[in-house]
Amino acid sequence: MAYRRRRRSFPRRKVCRFCADSNVKIDYKDPKLLKYFITERGKIIPRRISGNCARHQREITMAIKRARHIALMPYTTIQPH
Amino acid sequence: MRRYETLFIVTPDSSEEELKAVADKFQGVVTGMDGKVASYDEQGKKSLAYNVKKQSKGYYVLMDYLAQAEVVAELERNMRLDDRILKYLTVKLADDVDPASVEAVKPKPKKEAEKTEVAEEEAQSPEAQESEEEETEEETEEE
Ligand SMILES: [Zn+2]
Repeated sequence: MAYRRRRRSFPRRKVCRFCADSNVKIDYKDPKLLKYFITERGKIIPRRISGNCARHQREITMAIKRARHIALMPYTTIQPH
Repeated sequence: MRRYETLFIVTPDSSEEELKAVADKFQGVVTGMDGKVASYDEQGKKSLAYNVKKQSKGYYVLMDYLAQAEVVAELERNMRLDDRILKYLTVKLADDVDPASVEAVKPKPKKEAEKTEVAEEEAQSPEAQESEEEETEEETEEE
């Protein structure tokens, strides 16, 4: 099929995990959580893959961009291999 | 007043004294302009996701405070000019916060400083504890 081969297991869910579990807070100071939503090159995973709803994808994107600014997460990884 | 938090990175070659000086300086900026520091959390040395000012590590500090918008500008101006600060990020947490509803936690950073001192003491002088134990042992033997 036309699916792209995935090197890393992305959280692929039918339901947005943040809607399913309201205990999980999206925080730019929590790179451990946010790293599930970036590729190994550091790009933000689109919500058609991550399964997030629009609202939570927006929050994730905001948090990742803040985390990048304060060097908790990379803008890019030049040598992933 | 508004509630803000500023996360900033202090250069990794800072000493304990320098970290304390940084804490006093920036908390002083907030309190000096009638702001209120709710917490000052030194999160320790972390490695950076990319090099900042040629440093690959830094001390992360999170300061939570109530203040007017001008205070943020002044705080960030001070951080920009301070060579010990690699980077900073300020986020507004809430508008129109009643200052009375939030406790100013000034002794908190001091407590944290004490904790680190205690940890050092433990590392430096295990003998003190041992000697105490020996004394109690001797007492029981005499009985
Ligand atoms: Zn959602």
